[in-house]
Amino acid sequence: MTLPHTFRRSRTINAHRWALLGIVFCASWLVGSANAQEPFSPAFIQTQYQRYAPAMAVVFYSLEITNPATGEVARRDGRAPGLLVSESGLVITHGHMQVENMEPFNIRVQVGREGNEKEYPAKLLKKPDDINLCFVQIQASEGEKFPHAVFQPGATLELGEPVLILTVLGETLDYTPSVMIRRVGAILDKPRTTYCLDEPLGLGAVAGPAINRKGQLVGVVGFDLSPQEGGELYVRSGHPLVYQSDLFRAYIDNPPSESQPRDARQAAWLGIINQPLTDDLAEYWGLPKNGGIVVSSIVPGSPASQSGLQRGDVIVEFNGIPIKALQNREMLAFTKLVRETGPGKTVPITVLRKGQPVHLEITLGERPKTARDAEEYEDTIFGLTVREITTDLRMRVNLSEDVQGVIVSRVRNGSAAQIAGMRPGVIIMSVGGLPVKNLTEYEDAVTRIARQKPPEVSVFCRVGARTGFFRIRPRWEADSMETERQ
Amino acid sequence: MKQVAFLISVAVVLSSGCATLAPSQDAAVIRAKEKVAPALVHIRPVKEVFTEGKREEVLVIGSGFIISPDGYVVTNEHVAGSSRVVNCVLYTKEEMEAEVVGVDRYTDIAVLKLKTDRRDFPSVKLGSSSSLRAGETVLALGSPHGLARSVSKGIVSVPDRYLSTPDFMDINYNNWIQTDAAINPGNSGGPLVNLRGEVVGINARRLGGAENVGFAIPIDVAKEVIQSILKNGRMIRGWIGLSFQELSRKTGDVKQEGVVVADVEPLSPAAEVGIRPGDILLSVNGKPTTARFIEDLPVINKLIADLPIDQPATLHLLRGDQALDVEVKPEERSDVVGKEVEFPEWGFTATELTPELARRAQISSRQGVLVSGIQVGGLAAAAELGRGDIILKVDDAEVTDLETFSKLYRERVDSKKRLVLLDIRRGALMRYILIKQETESTNGQEP
Repeated sequence: MTLPHTFRRSRTINAHRWALLGIVFCASWLVGSANAQEPFSPAFIQTQYQRYAPAMAVVFYSLEITNPATGEVARRDGRAPGLLVSESGLVITHGHMQVENMEPFNIRVQVGREGNEKEYPAKLLKKPDDINLCFVQIQASEGEKFPHAVFQPGATLELGEPVLILTVLGETLDYTPSVMIRRVGAILDKPRTTYCLDEPLGLGAVAGPAINRKGQLVGVVGFDLSPQEGGELYVRSGHPLVYQSDLFRAYIDNPPSESQPRDARQAAWLGIINQPLTDDLAEYWGLPKNGGIVVSSIVPGSPASQSGLQRGDVIVEFNGIPIKALQNREMLAFTKLVRETGPGKTVPITVLRKGQPVHLEITLGERPKTARDAEEYEDTIFGLTVREITTDLRMRVNLSEDVQGVIVSRVRNGSAAQIAGMRPGVIIMSVGGLPVKNLTEYEDAVTRIARQKPPEVSVFCRVGARTGFFRIRPRWEADSMETERQ
Repeated sequence: MKQVAFLISVAVVLSSGCATLAPSQDAAVIRAKEKVAPALVHIRPVKEVFTEGKREEVLVIGSGFIISPDGYVVTNEHVAGSSRVVNCVLYTKEEMEAEVVGVDRYTDIAVLKLKTDRRDFPSVKLGSSSSLRAGETVLALGSPHGLARSVSKGIVSVPDRYLSTPDFMDINYNNWIQTDAAINPGNSGGPLVNLRGEVVGINARRLGGAENVGFAIPIDVAKEVIQSILKNGRMIRGWIGLSFQELSRKTGDVKQEGVVVADVEPLSPAAEVGIRPGDILLSVNGKPTTARFIEDLPVINKLIADLPIDQPATLHLLRGDQALDVEVKPEERSDVVGKEVEFPEWGFTATELTPELARRAQISSRQGVLVSGIQVGGLAAAAELGRGDIILKVDDAEVTDLETFSKLYRERVDSKKRLVLLDIRRGALMRYILIKQETESTNGQEP
């Protein structure tokens, strides 16, 4: 693979390039005003194409999809456009590659084109929980260098500004990079800057580079908002966005590992469930109509619960920053502010309690693992996968702290567990009479069972509000049929 | 000529041979049908339903049968429950109104009384369902798709079918008679009849997407419920807070006796005496309680239900190798669903939080009311009140039950207070909901 260092070199050849662009601009001006509406000249487009097309890649993978209702597992192949963002072969691709109940494996990345395509094995890194993008690391031989795109720090877009986007065409068109032009239709500034484009884009455009009028690489195309951005409010809006590079630069500089999403930044946690202080709520409580964060629930055992914060308090200042939340999006900005303040930090908070300001000091905790980051254990004896019970899951399914166990996330087709009637969502609390409070205890319990090989195992579980037993009869003669997976 | 005569005689013999077989079957079917049909009732109740935050009345069609000369009628709870007006059309096509005497949701039985002093109604003979065998001919009478006075014929497919409920939620007090006699919507509440013309079941369910897989409530189960409704207005059942699973769910050991305690409800009589999931219940007041297979469970549930309320019962249990005897005082089992009310000015409906609903919502307290529906375009919808929310406070006043809430609600609607704060529980979380009562001038226009 040749190495067009064009992106890196660009700064050193500025004079040369400006001269060239000058000629191009003059030329297009001379052609006449018919192209006055053209946002980008063909020459500009060609330059950008040559610059970024070599960094366009295609990610191939297989998916294991678990039907959460039946526990049935199906496989299918998938592919996604990718953008090389480091010399060592780090690739950004779309966030749908890794979602609940879908496990990608057998990941390969195709780089180069027109007969020079080369396919590399690759590893999926842990998906960040604050942006809907996935990172894939190519497994190349030592010292192999890849063409890659470099984002201009601080490069932005303006409302109405044209954006040049590179996409990858489909299989029948040999995954050829292609150019598209859109405009910025709206800019959301909270909880962070997100550019909404004016017209739909195909999925082939996801993770494609987005270039502004100045020829700066601003960011990449994305589709969904992650829950931290308000994704729960706008799930699958289907509206194309441009993620500014500031949002994911930390993951390029310091990529996540396969299991750890947050090497780049540690997230802090307060442990409150909040709602915005609307003008009506302010009127009801006789508070100034300046917005704020209403504490509507406090998570048991959280930093908030130990700080003297009370339900009904209205947070109006956090770490010296006035909080003026009136809308849901502004609330998300508050959550982001807390996350980025850093765990372990003690911060001053001002709340309004029954109309009076109260000053508190709160030591922020570390954000607990979410269900998505939860550790799993694949049990080949019963044929199921269990997952630790995280704080967010407890809240979501309304599970009190005294229920300890692990939750079934997948059940293998035809397994002993499936025959016994186990399915995803069941909470296992004891196995063969041994209490199981976490993944380690579960693993210990099944390891012991594997040694003893009993004909049947009684598993005590909880489904919804009720408890009961499943009788699993492991098929001892058929064990160690585990297939290799990457 | 001789030949022809012979042929005719053969034909006569053959046809008479057929006649001696088929007509006797037909005759039996006709006799059985004629014994029951005069007591058949085509039922058209106007039911109160709460849907999408509104109270509505809908006309439904079902079947029923008269069980006494003074005009008591049996049908399904899902046909006549929650209805104020029940229109009945008798077999004579005479129309008559009936009132609901009582219902039992657990067995899906309702008892009605025709509003008349007449004492000359033809009534059915209630048979016995315990001796029913698979293969036995049965008839289903009723109003399939509203077609009154219809009869269909089939056999008993399985006399004791267990119909399962979602995981660990079993509150079955009976098995069902499965039949291939055609049962369609509208047959509900109609009698399943044997060839002696006795009612052996009440048709109530069918398997959608299947052909001729229908289910009837065994009449032996129904008889007891009917008696209790006639006597007490409801079926009284003992409750100690235990759910059971059959032994085969825990062990394949065929020598093991008893039934597995699967779940112990918090704060229940059983929880108070320390019964735990995994205990094996061997007997209740000396009566053995062995349930190896799932079909055996309703008998155990019924045994517990039959315990007299507030009178100590002795439970003999096994915990590991250790035998335990405990005394529990059964309480009366509450209805699954409670009273439901519409709050039209705010556009939502709410139900009382019965112990059963509180349990399903996984909350330990029974305080508050459960929001059951939200009307599109209403004030509750605008305030983002949601179905499943539990209202705990109105402004600063605690909501203990539906009555308290109704009162607090009425006060605020009448006073036209501009802002009303509801303190609600949504799953594990708490939330503030602000209802903005519109003043006259800003009142939205109904389309």
